[in-house]
Amino acid sequence: MPDDHAYLSIDFLAGMTIFMVAFIWVATMIPGLLISLQGGTIDYDAVAYRTGVILVEDPGMPASPPWENKDDMQKDEIQRFGLSLTKDNPNILAPNKIERFFCSTSFSYPDDYQRRVIFGERPYSFNISLSTFDGMMNWSVGDVKPDGYGYIRRLVKIKQPSNATINAPAFRNSGEDGNVTGHVFSVHINCTQLLQDVRNPPYQIDPLRERIMVNISNLGGARVFEPANVITLNKIIIYRQNPAQPLVQVRTFDTSYIDGGNAASSLPVIVNDNASVIFPAGFFYGMANENSQLYINYTFKLSLQDLFFNNSFTSPYDYNYSPIRVTQPILKEGVVEVAIW
Amino acid sequence: MVNSDGQLFTIEGVAAGLIMLFSAYLVVSATSIYTPGDTHISDMQLEQLGSDALRMMNTPNTTATAGESLLQNITKKNDGERFKETFLTFCNSTTGGSYDNLQLSADLFYRDTLTKSVKQFHFAHSRNLTGGEHAVRVTEWVHLDLIGGDPLSGAAPGIDTRMQAVLMEVLLWRD
Repeated sequence: MPDDHAYLSIDFLAGMTIFMVAFIWVATMIPGLLISLQGGTIDYDAVAYRTGVILVEDPGMPASPPWENKDDMQKDEIQRFGLSLTKDNPNILAPNKIERFFCSTSFSYPDDYQRRVIFGERPYSFNISLSTFDGMMNWSVGDVKPDGYGYIRRLVKIKQPSNATINAPAFRNSGEDGNVTGHVFSVHINCTQLLQDVRNPPYQIDPLRERIMVNISNLGGARVFEPANVITLNKIIIYRQNPAQPLVQVRTFDTSYIDGGNAASSLPVIVNDNASVIFPAGFFYGMANENSQLYINYTFKLSLQDLFFNNSFTSPYDYNYSPIRVTQPILKEGVVEVAIW
Repeated sequence: MVNSDGQLFTIEGVAAGLIMLFSAYLVVSATSIYTPGDTHISDMQLEQLGSDALRMMNTPNTTATAGESLLQNITKKNDGERFKETFLTFCNSTTGGSYDNLQLSADLFYRDTLTKSVKQFHFAHSRNLTGGEHAVRVTEWVHLDLIGGDPLSGAAPGIDTRMQAVLMEVLLWRD
């Protein structure tokens, strides 16, 4: 009689082989599962790094006209945020881009940032913060950081735009013709010269893209005969002259910070001593180009005839690279932190 | 009659062996994947920070001082103490106001005109290296217009007094 023990062993061997093949197949999938789990943390760091690079090394898209000039109605046209002054100046940030980026009334967290600076398929949470070493400027957007997150820290310099402080008595007119109630003071912005004399953007005065600030101080001291004369800043008119074209009025500017006040006053307004006018970044972009000459004319009205702050008989005040006339742009150190989770 | 007891023992042994081998493979492969990735990322973060710090130190804040950067000025004056303070301020600052704990050791490489070779000159350190630190290396080329009276000329014998590029190398680690 034949022995059937061998048949049983072969069955067992076949069953065991099938089991082992299945086991090996499952076992080889487990490291893959673990990799994807572990990949979470690695991915957060990678996304933080990428976001940091986009913020500090990229000027954003569109570049011309720049994304920061897009108003709230046009924000859908912004494809990518980027704070760098230009693509050739990594780590040098433009203040107007920073202010626009962190503007909570224009952009909402997280949706507006997710598709313009964080990217990726997952809905990441994040916190982006920026501050200067002197603590004068602090911005942040995002959630409170949890215990674990992907992280990058980048060091930057933030360009501080130029400004001019004009001492009014130094520009007082003279002669009988000047003893009137209406006085005009003109500031000349020579775009051609400003953009050609200094070509390195971190140190360049760029009237087309940057804030221009003109402070007129000590206006009371510019009066000669009538100390009680009431000074009114009536209007500010901007004229433009392009090559081979006549001088044309392009705009008026209707607000000014008066006597150190924190809120802008509408013109006409009575001034005791100081009048500051801040033309926001991009203000001149649409009305001028790199070959334009711009003239900002301040029209003052006095209650009584007097000699006063007036350069209509001489020459306009040149807003240029002379440190005596204009406080030149400087760079300020700061740090950017990006946390992703 | 043939005894089948031995066959069963062999198959059980083979099965158990295979399970043990695959368990070991699983553990080893799972461990070896993650560690290099994590190390690489913290190294990358430090390298980026150090390289940013050197680049920012080598960028003038204004054009008023003939375009000379802080790093150029410090190097010419051989001012290791100021280099240490500035570099650590840059690297350790955070937006929240807290202070990180990074340390540095910096060397300067220049061409020695006497031996016509590249010489190394210790420039600054925040504490001595013990060998156990996990440091990253960052470098920055510094353009110098050296004259005889500059302190670096006296401190680094053989350095040429002319327009030249020297290499600032910083080892950076977290305590």
